[in-house]
Amino acid sequence: MRSTGFVAACLCAALALPARAAEPVTLILPQLDEPRTLSPDFAPDSGAYPPASNIYSTLFTLDWGLLKGTTAYGDLAESWDIAPDGLTITFHMRPNVKWHDGAPVTSADVAFTYERIIRKKYPFEPFLRNVASIETPDAMTVVLKLKTADVSTIPMMAQASQWWGKIYPKHLWESQEGFDTGPQVKAPIGSGPFSFVRWDTGGVEVAANPDYFRGKPRLDRVIFKHVSDGNVARAEFDAGEYPYLPSEYAPPLAEVKPLQADKQVKVVFTPSHYSRALYLNFAYAPYASLKVRTAVAMAMDRDAINRLAFAGLWKPAMHGNVDTQSNWINTEASFPTFDRAGAEKLLDEAGFPRKEGGWRFATTVIGQPLADCLAMLPVMVQQLRAVGINATTRLLDQSTYFQMMFSGNWETSCYATRFGPDPDAFREHFATTGSRNFMHYSNAEVDDLARRAVLTLDPAARRPMYQKIQELVVRDVAFINLFNEQKTTLERPGWTGFPTDESGFNQSITWYGLFGVHPPGT
Amino acid sequence: MRIWRTGLTRLLQVFPVLLVVVVLNFTLIHLAPGDISGLLAGESADPAYLAGVRAQYGLDQPYIVQLWRYIATVASGDLGLSFRTHQPVLWEVLQRTPATLLLVGTALTCSIVVGTTIGAWIARKPGGWLDQIISLVSISLFSIPVFWLGLMLILIFAVWNRWLPTSGMQTPGGPREGLAMVTDVLRHLVLPALTLAAAWVGQYVRLSRSAVQAVLAESYITTVRAIGFPERRVLLHYALRNALLPVITVFGLQLGLVLAGATLTETLFSWPGLGRLIYDAILARDTPVIMGAFVMMSFSVALASFATDIAYAALDPRVRF
Repeated sequence: MRSTGFVAACLCAALALPARAAEPVTLILPQLDEPRTLSPDFAPDSGAYPPASNIYSTLFTLDWGLLKGTTAYGDLAESWDIAPDGLTITFHMRPNVKWHDGAPVTSADVAFTYERIIRKKYPFEPFLRNVASIETPDAMTVVLKLKTADVSTIPMMAQASQWWGKIYPKHLWESQEGFDTGPQVKAPIGSGPFSFVRWDTGGVEVAANPDYFRGKPRLDRVIFKHVSDGNVARAEFDAGEYPYLPSEYAPPLAEVKPLQADKQVKVVFTPSHYSRALYLNFAYAPYASLKVRTAVAMAMDRDAINRLAFAGLWKPAMHGNVDTQSNWINTEASFPTFDRAGAEKLLDEAGFPRKEGGWRFATTVIGQPLADCLAMLPVMVQQLRAVGINATTRLLDQSTYFQMMFSGNWETSCYATRFGPDPDAFREHFATTGSRNFMHYSNAEVDDLARRAVLTLDPAARRPMYQKIQELVVRDVAFINLFNEQKTTLERPGWTGFPTDESGFNQSITWYGLFGVHPPGT
Repeated sequence: MRIWRTGLTRLLQVFPVLLVVVVLNFTLIHLAPGDISGLLAGESADPAYLAGVRAQYGLDQPYIVQLWRYIATVASGDLGLSFRTHQPVLWEVLQRTPATLLLVGTALTCSIVVGTTIGAWIARKPGGWLDQIISLVSISLFSIPVFWLGLMLILIFAVWNRWLPTSGMQTPGGPREGLAMVTDVLRHLVLPALTLAAAWVGQYVRLSRSAVQAVLAESYITTVRAIGFPERRVLLHYALRNALLPVITVFGLQLGLVLAGATLTETLFSWPGLGRLIYDAILARDTPVIMGAFVMMSFSVALASFATDIAYAALDPRVRF
C-alpha cells in the first residue's frame, strides 16, 4: 500500500515537472522611444522598430551576424538567384507561411508592399529605386527586374529592412489609401515570430506565434516598455526588472570595469560597420591643402581620446575602413600616426604659421547628438588647439546638424561613417557625386573605381578595386578615421541569443529581433 | 446675466490671443535652424528623397504660404495632421490629456490643500521652532530639482524597497480592467505625483503663511478675537478666507498650464502625458502637433483665468462682475 502511494506520488511529481517547465516566459524590454504607430513602412519611427520587427517579416534581412560576414539571409524568401547580367533577381519564397490571421503569405503580398512603397515614396523607396518592375510568375516567386546591375542591392535592402520594407498582408491593406491609415496601423497583423496582443500605456505586448515558419519562439510573451530616461532604465535593470539593457541605455564606459567584476551582469561589446571619424570640408580654404589635412590627422592622438572619452575601451581605426569589414579592409593604407611636432611643421609649410596669439587659423567643430561624438569632441578640440588651430565646439540637434552638412556650411565635424554592409558605401561617401560626400572630395580615379566596382559581380574582382579606393582616400586624407564603433549592452547571465550577442547572430531576424533569445534553462 | 456677458467677452478675447500665439509660434519654429525633412525622411535618405518629402509636406513653399495654410486649417476647426503619425493633432492631444490631467491635477490638488493648510497653521506663531523647520523644508522642496528628487524617490521606494513601481502608468502585462487596474494606475501615480507636488507644496506653504500672517495682523481680526470667537474659527473663517486670494491667483495660473503637462516629471517616469508629447514633437519638429498643443494650452489658460475670476467673486464679496 505504501509502495503504491509512493509510486503515485512519484507519478504526480513527474507530471508536475513538465507543467513547471512550461511556465510562460515573459520578457520585458525597455526602449527609449515610444512608438508613434506600429506601421513602420510609411515613416521613420524608432519606437516602432523593435515591436514591428518582431511582428512583421521581410523578404530577406540581416542582423549582427553581419560582423561574421553575413550580408543578407532569407526571411520570407528561402533563397534567391541573381542572373549573370545582374539585372534580374528571382526570390523563391518559403512554402506554407501564414499571416497571424491564418491567411497564406504569397508573392502577391511582397509585390503589393513594394509597389505601394515605390508609388507612395515611403522611406524604403530609395532602396527600390533601381527596380524597373516586380513580377510574380507564381504564388511563391518574386522577380525583381533592375534598371542597372548593382551588387549592393541585396545588402542595402537587407540593412534597410531593419526599419522599413516589412511585408504587409495585401488582403488587409489594399482597401486602405496608404500604410498610414486603417486599423492595422495600431493593431498589426504580420507573419513574424510574435503576434500583436495589445498596445496601451503599459507598452506594446506581443505573444509567441505558434505557427511561425522557423518554429515557436522560446519566449512566450514580450512587452516593449517605453522608458524615456536612461537613469531609470538602468535602475530598473539593476533591480532585476529586465534581463537585457539595449545599447541606447549604454552605461558610461567608466562604469564598465566595476560592472565586469559583477557576476550578475554580463557586459557585451558589439562592434559594427560604422566608424567615428573627423571630417574636414575641402571647401574651407585651409582644408583644401593636403598638408593641412595631413597635419590635422597627425594632431589626432587616438590613445588619448580613447583614454579620456572611452575609458580605453574603444578600438582605434588607423585605416580607411573598419576592422569588421575584414574581407575589404586595406591594412596597408594607414593614416599618419600621432606626431604633434610633425603636424606643426606641415602647417608651417602649408602657409599657416602661428600668428598673433599663437593661432594659425580658426575652425568650428560641429557635432551631432551621438554620445560618443560628444565625448570625443572636447579632446579632439584640445588636440587641434595644441597645434595652433583655434578650434571651438558647436553641438547641434540632429536636424540642424544634417542641414549644415548637406548645405556645406561647416568646416570640421565628428561623423559616423558607414562602411557596410556592402563596400559600395565608399561610393556614397567618397565619389564626387556621392550623396554623403559632405567633404566635397573629388578624385576621378575613385569615381571610376567605385562606378565599376558596383557593377562587378565577382567579389574577388571587386576586392582590389576597393583596396585601391582606400589607398587613395587615405593618401588624400579625404577623411580621418579615428575609431571602430562599438555598442555596449548589459545582460543577465543565463540569457542568450540577444541580437547584439554573438549567440544571436544569424538568427535574430533584424537588429531588433528576439526570435533567437533563450531564457535561462532552455 | 452680467457674469455670462463677462464670460462671453472673455471667450471672444481668446481668438485674437490665439492668432498671436499661432503666428508667433509658427514664426519661431520656422526661424529655428535645421531641416524638418531630414527628420521626416530618416537618416538614410538621399537628397532626391528629401526633396520629395519637402514637397509632400508643403515645406518647399515660402514661409508666408505655409503660415496662411496653417491659419486657414485652424480657422476651419481642424488642427491638422501630425507630420510623424499622420493622425489628427486633436486626437493626439486628447489621447494624452487624461494622463496629464490625472498627474498634474492630483499633484496640484494635493499641494494646494496640504500647502495652504500647513502655511495657515504655522502662520499663527511666526518665528517659532515649527515655523522655522517647516519654512526650511518648504524652501528646500521648492529648490530641489525635480529630476533629482524623482530619481531619489525611485531609488528609495522602487529599487531599494520594492514598494512602488519605477515608471510608466500601468504594469506591463498587468490588469486592464476593474478595481485592479485602478489600483495599478494609482500605485504608478504615487511617485510622479509626489515629485511634482513637492515643489508646489513648498510654494503654497510660503504663500499662505505670509498671506495668513498679514491678515492676522489686521484690526478686524483683533476685533473678532476681542468679541471672543474661538481661535480656530478666527483662523479658518475670518483669516484664511481673505488670505486665499493670492493663493487662488497662483492656483489659477498653474491650472491654466495643466495642459502643458510636466515635461521633466513625465520624462523621468515615462508618464504618457502631454508634456512628453510636446517635448517629442519639438525634438522631431512636428510643427502641427507643437502648434496644436499651444492652441489648446492658450484655451486652457483663458478658461482657467475666467474660473479664477469666478472664484474671486465667491471668496471676496467686494469683487462683483
